[in-house]
Amino acid sequence: MEVYFYLRLLSKTGENKRMKNSSKFQWLSSVIFLYLVNQAHGQKRGVPHDLKCITHNLKVWDCSWEASSRINHGTTYEICIVNSSYPCIQTEKTHFEIPALSLAEHEIKISSMHVSGNSVTKFILNERSVSLVPATLQIFNLTADFSTSTLYIKWNDNGSVLPRHSNVTWEIVVLYKEDMEVATIATLNTTLIGKDSLHHWSWTSDIPLECTLHYVKIRYYIDELHFSGQKEWSEWSPLRNISGPPIKENYEVFPQDKVVPVGSNMTFCCVVEEPVLTAQFGSERCSLIRLDNKSVAIEINNITVSPSSGTNVVFTTKSNMYGTVVFAGYPPDIPRKLNCETRDLKEITCSWNPGRPTGLVGPRDTNYILYERFSGRNVTYNRDEEHMNENHQLIFQMIAGQEIYNFTLKASNPVGRSEAVILVDVTRKVYPHTPSKLIVSDIDPTAIILHWHLSGNFANITLLCEIEINTAYSGQELRNITVKGLETSSYRVSVDRLMPYTMYTFRIRCSSENFWKWSKWSNEKQYLTMEGVPSKGPDIWREWSADGKSVIIYWKPLSINEANGKILSYDISYWSEEGKQHLKIPDPQHRAKIQLDRNDCIISVVARNSAGSSPPSKITSMEIPNGENLKVEQIVGIGSGMLFHWNYDPNMTCDYVIKWCNSTRSEPCLIDWKKFPANSTGALIEYDNFRSGTRYNFFLYGCKNQKYQLLRSVVGYTEELAPSVAPNFTVEDTSADSILVKWEDIPVEDLRGFLRGYLFYFEKGEKGTSKIQGLESGRSDVKVKNITDITQKTLRIVDLQGKTGYHLLLQAYTDGGIGPGKAMYVVTKENSEGLIIAILIPVAVAVFVGVVTSILCYRKREWIKETFYPDIPNPENSKALQFHKSICEGSSTLKTLEMNPCTPNNVEVVETRSAAPKIEEDTEIKSPVADGPEEGSDAEPENHVVVSYCPPIIEEEIASAGGEEAGGSSQVIYIDIQSMYQPQAKPEEELEKDSVGGAGYKPQMHLPVTSTVENMIAADGLEKAAGYRPQTHVTAWNLDSPDSPRSIDSNSETVSFGSPCSVNSRQFLIPPKDDESPKSSNGGWSFTHFFQNKPND
Amino acid sequence: MLPVAGEPAGDSWGMLACLCTVLWHLPAVPALNRTGDPGPGPSIQKTYDLTRYLEHQLRSLAGTYLNYLGPPFNEPDFNPPRLSAEALPSATVDFNVWRSLNDHLRLAQNYQAYSHLLCYLRGLDRHAATAELRRSLAHFCTSLQGLLGSIAGVMAALGYPLPPQGAEPSWAPRPPHSDFLQKMDDFWLLKELQTWLWRSAKDFNRLKKKMQPSAAAVTLRLEAAASDL
Repeated sequence: MEVYFYLRLLSKTGENKRMKNSSKFQWLSSVIFLYLVNQAHGQKRGVPHDLKCITHNLKVWDCSWEASSRINHGTTYEICIVNSSYPCIQTEKTHFEIPALSLAEHEIKISSMHVSGNSVTKFILNERSVSLVPATLQIFNLTADFSTSTLYIKWNDNGSVLPRHSNVTWEIVVLYKEDMEVATIATLNTTLIGKDSLHHWSWTSDIPLECTLHYVKIRYYIDELHFSGQKEWSEWSPLRNISGPPIKENYEVFPQDKVVPVGSNMTFCCVVEEPVLTAQFGSERCSLIRLDNKSVAIEINNITVSPSSGTNVVFTTKSNMYGTVVFAGYPPDIPRKLNCETRDLKEITCSWNPGRPTGLVGPRDTNYILYERFSGRNVTYNRDEEHMNENHQLIFQMIAGQEIYNFTLKASNPVGRSEAVILVDVTRKVYPHTPSKLIVSDIDPTAIILHWHLSGNFANITLLCEIEINTAYSGQELRNITVKGLETSSYRVSVDRLMPYTMYTFRIRCSSENFWKWSKWSNEKQYLTMEGVPSKGPDIWREWSADGKSVIIYWKPLSINEANGKILSYDISYWSEEGKQHLKIPDPQHRAKIQLDRNDCIISVVARNSAGSSPPSKITSMEIPNGENLKVEQIVGIGSGMLFHWNYDPNMTCDYVIKWCNSTRSEPCLIDWKKFPANSTGALIEYDNFRSGTRYNFFLYGCKNQKYQLLRSVVGYTEELAPSVAPNFTVEDTSADSILVKWEDIPVEDLRGFLRGYLFYFEKGEKGTSKIQGLESGRSDVKVKNITDITQKTLRIVDLQGKTGYHLLLQAYTDGGIGPGKAMYVVTKENSEGLIIAILIPVAVAVFVGVVTSILCYRKREWIKETFYPDIPNPENSKALQFHKSICEGSSTLKTLEMNPCTPNNVEVVETRSAAPKIEEDTEIKSPVADGPEEGSDAEPENHVVVSYCPPIIEEEIASAGGEEAGGSSQVIYIDIQSMYQPQAKPEEELEKDSVGGAGYKPQMHLPVTSTVENMIAADGLEKAAGYRPQTHVTAWNLDSPDSPRSIDSNSETVSFGSPCSVNSRQFLIPPKDDESPKSSNGGWSFTHFFQNKPND
Repeated sequence: MLPVAGEPAGDSWGMLACLCTVLWHLPAVPALNRTGDPGPGPSIQKTYDLTRYLEHQLRSLAGTYLNYLGPPFNEPDFNPPRLSAEALPSATVDFNVWRSLNDHLRLAQNYQAYSHLLCYLRGLDRHAATAELRRSLAHFCTSLQGLLGSIAGVMAALGYPLPPQGAEPSWAPRPPHSDFLQKMDDFWLLKELQTWLWRSAKDFNRLKKKMQPSAAAVTLRLEAAASDL
């Protein structure tokens, strides 16, 4: 009450103070007053204030207040609720608990009792001023699944002490790392049920829980609608952390050996003491993320399919290497094409296609379970590793009495699962095994029994089987049969409508009547059916022998279809005078001769096999004489056969027979026959062995009262061909203007058709030059005669020339063409008068011409002699041609020049500047001609040359600018001297020079005119004498001149023209133009010599 | 070897006696008396050849297998610490120690190593995931079995007893053997196999050389003895 007063007072004082704070004095007095009040108030500090009430469960309010701690000690309080039956509470603490009060306002009186005095404080309290703060929770359980990195939290909601149906919001926080970063915050809502209940919450961490510490705390909030006070979150529960990884799994890298779906994001961490240097995922390096002081991590996003041994994650430290393997793969695809069928109605085989590969192998590969819903049974896929990717199938044992099966194929692997469903009526999904043990047994010649084995229990169904029947003759036949299914697997069925004595090939396949799939064909079984009685008698014919004493019976072998077995023999019976006769002819023989001696009888033939005898075939031996005027007709066939027509004859009661034979064969004439019914009027005879160009005889018989009469006789060809040989012809007679030719018939077999005529060709010409073979070209010089009268055998050709050769050619022709021709060369006989005239006239003319010529020659004999035989000097007598043997001893190329009649040559040099050398030259050159050979021997060595050649005169202009040595231009007319020989005599001084300069051939270097000049230049020449230096200083020469290059020698005296005597050079030794007559000359030398030395002069 | 009496030269009786002694002992010379039994030489050569063949075979197998293990195991510079492969017999030995081994010890160590390695290799076969790899491993195991038999044959030929056969070491002594550690073991197994094959080739080459000249040496000594006489 006092407190209350003071509070009121203080508030009033406060108001006064505000009213008077304008005055300085008043402000000061107020400060003093306040101080006093404060003192007084301090004495009353034990008084409670700030009463606050909270509730944890809405049943009890927990109220507390503030009190001065200084004076609190030793203070006792009495709390009373005014106007309430609730008893007052005595306490020394500053809080109290009271049961929850009603909604109305309640006055709480707290009396403080202290040694310093008592005080009473009143508070007004209602529910709105009470806060609902739920009690702090304790996490009941916190566990971790390290393999899945999942935290599991359990806690109790204390629902028994909280109002029912209250909504509760839970907030859970997971912290990690050393610095407690928030990993996740989760909020959950529940409703209280009025009793304690455990709540669960789990959380899967992105990073493995082993990588770093994880902590968890939880708080909650109760949303009680009926509570009007303030609602607050509870306090956080104490932090709980998960215990570390199991000690025994002392791995350093996490997670270990994890299988994850492709595309996952993953964090791998390495927990080691030493620092991690690098991290590698597969083959790629990764950046490190530090989690705490001994844990680093790497993050891999969108992980791809691992190889079969997994993807390696490796952390490397300085001294060690840590790692793990992760397997990323796909969840199993939904099994595709799931199909269940049975082969034996004992077990069901379900097969499927696994679809997309999962990328996981070995223990992580997809596991399959086949679950049958009706029976609740399942089968697990037993992986056959050898055929892992080829065969996905499971076998389910059938349940007795159950036909409908509802299968679920469940596929699962560590990263997922899938399934496929199929509902199967097994009786409609029968795919039988392959039938086996096929056996055939006989019933009769046209029916057999087929036995086979088909494993399985088909007692409840009907089987549909297909039998394939094959014969070589009639081909393939398929027959479908139905068989009641058996438990015993042995089946049999009869097969009829077969042919006797026929090799059949059987095979069988089966299905169910509700067709699903055929089984595979069984193995083939060959079987020969039994023999049957021959179905008809053989086709027979008879021929009388020529003498009429015997009849030959012919019959045709029965066809396979008719024989029905192997024909063993033929039984022939006939009635003769001696009674019934029997003959037994073994099979390969198809004819029999019967001696009848012109008697008529009926002959019967029966074919017999092991099963019995055929019906008899009968024929009478009687023959009605043919009518008169039976002509042999000619028929040409239609290529493949012969067509016959005859008129209908009502008298013919049995049949018609056409028999035929090759006309060139000897008797009896029979190849084959064919029978036609009595009412027929024509027949086409086709016979495989008919050959073109072969003549056949055909005979048509009619049968009248079992007697045959020859109606027509026909000769024919199925097709005509040209004759194969030429007609053989000879020349019977020749005259000067005609030839008689005769030929022979061509044999029938070579004719190959009906002969229509001959072609005769003749042509004038020499023997061996005939072109008559190309007759058809219609050449005008070939004459032809067409002889159409085939009976004509001779031909006379007239109007020929006498003693003239003729080519003859004869050809026969048919409608099939013209045959080859035979050629012959004939010379007609000569005409004798013409020959005599032809000889006499030329002889007379020749005699006349001879006489005239003789006369003329005699008269003009002098002139003829001068013209044709003039006097010629003999060059052999010339001394110029006697060679000095020592020049080139042994040289075979040096021969006596063959002298021709030769006119002397003139060489004229026209010098324009200096006349002196010219004169000298003239004398030099002229010497061989002007002087006799004897003079030449006394002259200078250059003059011992005989020029004896009759060359063309070559006019050459040597340009004065052509060389330095040539002082000016000069006009030269010189002789191309080809033959010039060394004189026989040679002065001693020249020999010496030879010895000086003779080391080799030195052409064109210096061309001395005289010996003095030579001496002057000897020194120069010697130093260059070592070898041949052609054309060094000869640029002034016209090298195109035919002889200038080859007529050069440094020592002209020793030159040996055309001789291979030079040691050092062969340049000019073997002249290219004419090997036989060595060329070059001193005369030629003289020219060059002259020009060369002219400047020196 | 051949005892050669050393009588003073020049003494004709002594020379004659020596000659007689030599002739008397000639039939006892092993080198001259080996017409029937070829001795251990060919089998050592065969073992050596087999070792080289296995080396070649292992090169191919290891390439395939390391590729199967994936990177970094198939990287050329991959050289992990030998973490958990202590159980594998190591071929690495100090050179002096190796030189000091006698033939018997050498062969015994080879034999023991390969018998252990073979067991481990069969373990490798059990967890290889692909059929082709399993076939290669089985083939190699067969060859290795052959080598083991060959070594046993050589030891028998030389008269050495076979080392006692220990119990087959189980491949998984550590129950929760992780895939990674397994791969490390596989890697080391292949590596040790290779090193052992190298070492064996060297061992058998040495043995081969040692065996070959023994016959020649006797002949040489005989000649020397004769010249001494």
